[in-house]
Amino acid sequence: MSELSEAHAQDNRRPAPVGDRIAGAILLVLAVAAWWHSHSFVTGFMQPVGPGAFPRLVTIPMAVLALYLIVRPGFNERWPDRAGLARQLAVVVLLVVYASLLEPLGFVPVSMVGAVLLIRLFGAHWRQALLAGVGLSIGLYLLFEHALGIPLPDMPWLELIGQGGR
Amino acid sequence: METLGFLAHGFAVAMQPEYLLLALIGCTVGTLIGALPGLGPVNGVALMIPLAFNFNLEPTAALILLVSVYYGCMYGGRISSIVLNIPGDEPAMMTTLDGYPMALKGRGGEALGLSAVASFVGATLATIGLTLFAPLLVEVAIKFGPAEYFALFLLAFVTIGGVTSGSLAKSFVAACLGLLLGTVGIDPVSSVPRFTFGTYEMYDGIDFIVALVGLFAISECLVFLEVRRDTSKAHVQLGSAWPGMRASLPCAGTIGRGSLIGFISGVLPGAGASLGSFLAYMLEKRWLGSKGDFGNGDPRGVAAPEAGNNAAAGGALIPMLSLGIPGSGTTAILLALLLSMNITPGPLLFEQHPDMVWGLVAALFIGNLMLLVLNVPLVGLFARMLQAPSWFLMPMVVLIAFVGVYSLNNSPFDLYMMLAFGVLGYVLRKLEIPTVPVVLGLLLGGQMEFNLRRAMSISGGEWSILVNSGISVGIYVFAATLLMAGLVYSLLLRRRLA
Repeated sequence: MSELSEAHAQDNRRPAPVGDRIAGAILLVLAVAAWWHSHSFVTGFMQPVGPGAFPRLVTIPMAVLALYLIVRPGFNERWPDRAGLARQLAVVVLLVVYASLLEPLGFVPVSMVGAVLLIRLFGAHWRQALLAGVGLSIGLYLLFEHALGIPLPDMPWLELIGQGGR
Repeated sequence: METLGFLAHGFAVAMQPEYLLLALIGCTVGTLIGALPGLGPVNGVALMIPLAFNFNLEPTAALILLVSVYYGCMYGGRISSIVLNIPGDEPAMMTTLDGYPMALKGRGGEALGLSAVASFVGATLATIGLTLFAPLLVEVAIKFGPAEYFALFLLAFVTIGGVTSGSLAKSFVAACLGLLLGTVGIDPVSSVPRFTFGTYEMYDGIDFIVALVGLFAISECLVFLEVRRDTSKAHVQLGSAWPGMRASLPCAGTIGRGSLIGFISGVLPGAGASLGSFLAYMLEKRWLGSKGDFGNGDPRGVAAPEAGNNAAAGGALIPMLSLGIPGSGTTAILLALLLSMNITPGPLLFEQHPDMVWGLVAALFIGNLMLLVLNVPLVGLFARMLQAPSWFLMPMVVLIAFVGVYSLNNSPFDLYMMLAFGVLGYVLRKLEIPTVPVVLGLLLGGQMEFNLRRAMSISGGEWSILVNSGISVGIYVFAATLLMAGLVYSLLLRRRLA
C-alpha cells in the first residue's frame, strides 16, 4: 500500500493494536526460532562465513522490528466480516481439494466441478456458474493442451475403464 | 555513437517475425490485464511467467513477451479509470480524478485518445532515456566488487521501504521475512540443507515464481471475495478516440513535464510508477495554478499522470537491467524471470548478452508503437471487455495460475505452496505489511548472501571489507539519507493524518 492509495482508503483503515501485535509476536517467535535453529548448520572447513551467519544476520533486525510492531502497533485494513471470511475459507479449502485431486482424477473433470463451485463462490447464480464453469474448463483445456502444447494431467481412470472393457 | 550502433543491431534482432508476434501478443494481453480492475502489472506479469516457462521460450523471447505485457498494463490501466472510475491498477489511480469527469461529460473517447498519446510519449521518452543512461550506469557498475554489491542490495531494501510504504517498520520486517524465506533450501556454498525440516521438496528452496503467483494473483482473488460486488456496471457514452489525438497538441508541455517527473521517479529504486503518476499530477496542478481546472475533467489532468506512470515504467527498467536491482514489484518479477533462466542482470549482461539487452530496448520502441495503434482505434473493444463480470474473471485467473504453476514441475506440492503464499499475501495486505519487499528479499537474498560471503572470503573473515571502498561507503551514506528522508516523511504524514 503506498501513500497514494492510503488517502483513498482512509475509511477502510483502522488502528489495529491486536492484529499488529499478533503479527509481531509470530514474527518474533519465527526470528528467535530461526536464530536458534541456524546454529545447527555445520560450518565447513576454510569458510570464514558459514551457512548459519546470513540467516542470523537477518533475524536480528527482524526480531527488533517485530518487537517494535508489538510495542507500537499501527494501522490495518479493515478485516472482512464473517460472511466474507466464510467465503474465503471455502475457496481456500476448495482449492486445496482441487490441487489434491488434479493428478488422480485428471484436469478436465476436476476443473469442471472446481470451476463451477468457484464461480458460484464468487457470486454468480447456479445457472451462470454451470454454463461458465464448464465452458471455462473446456476452453482452458483446449487452449493449453492443444493450442499451446502444455500437457495437463490426463484422466487415468478413462484408461482403466478402457482396459476393463477389453 | 556506439550506443546507436548497438541499437541498430537491436532493431535487427527485434524485427524477427517471432519476436514481433510475441511483442504484439504481449501488448494485447497486457492492455487487457491492465484494463481489468484489480489486475495490475504485477499480477499480470506474475501470471504470465509460468506460461512463458512452459512454452520453453529462450530468454530474449520471454523477456520481450513479459516486458510487452508490462508496458501494455501501464497503457491498459487508464481504460477502467476513465470508463468506470475504478483504477485498473494502482498507478492509474490519479487518472480517475479527471478522466471520469471527462467521461461523464461525454468526452470519454477524447480522454482515452489523449491518454493513449500521453502514454506513448511518456513511454517512448523513457525508453530513449533507458538507451542513453543504462550504458553510463553500466560503466560505473562494472567497477563494483562483492562488497559494493552487498551495499547496493541493502540500498534497494531501504529505498523500497522508504519511498513507497506507509510504515517503515512494516516494510523492513517484510524484507527480513523475505530474506529469511530465501535461505530455505540447500546452501549452494556448503551444501548444508537449511530450514528444510527433512522434506525433500524444500531442498531446492522456495521457487519464487510459485511464491509470486501466490502472493499477487491468489491473494488478489481473496481480496475480491471480501464483499459481494454489484456486477451491473454503469454504461458511459464513449465517443470516438480520434479527437483525443488532436487534443494532445495543446497538452504537449504537460506531457513533457509529466514524462520527465515520471522518468526520474522510475529510475529511483523503490519509487515506481504510482509515485510517478502521483507527482506528475500534483506538480502539474501546482504548475498551472488557476489556469487549470483539475478535478473537473481537465484534459491535462489525464495527460500528466498517464505520461508520468508510463515514463516511470520505462525508467524502472534502468536499475533492473544495469545493476540487477529491481525498482518495483513488476521489475522484481522480470528479474526473477532472468535469474531463473540463469542470466544475471547487471553490468555483465550488457557485455555477455548484448543481443538480448538491445533487442529488448528495440522491442520496447516497437511495442510502444503497437500499443498506440492498439489503443486508439481498438479502445472501444477493450472498454467493452470491461463489462465481463468479475465472477468469471477471478476464477479464470485462479485456473490459469493453477495450470501455469502446476506445469512448472508437474507437482501438486507447488500448488499447495502457491496457496500458502496466497493466504500469507492476503494476511500481510490486511496488516498493511507490503508484499513487494517480501518478494525482493526472497529474490535477492541468495545473491546478497553470495556477495557477502565472497567479500568475506576475499578479506579472510574481516568484516571491515564491507566499508573499505569509497563506492560502498557512498552507497551506505545515500541509503542512510534516504532512510532519514523516509522517516521525516512518515512523521509528517502521521502529523497530517492526526
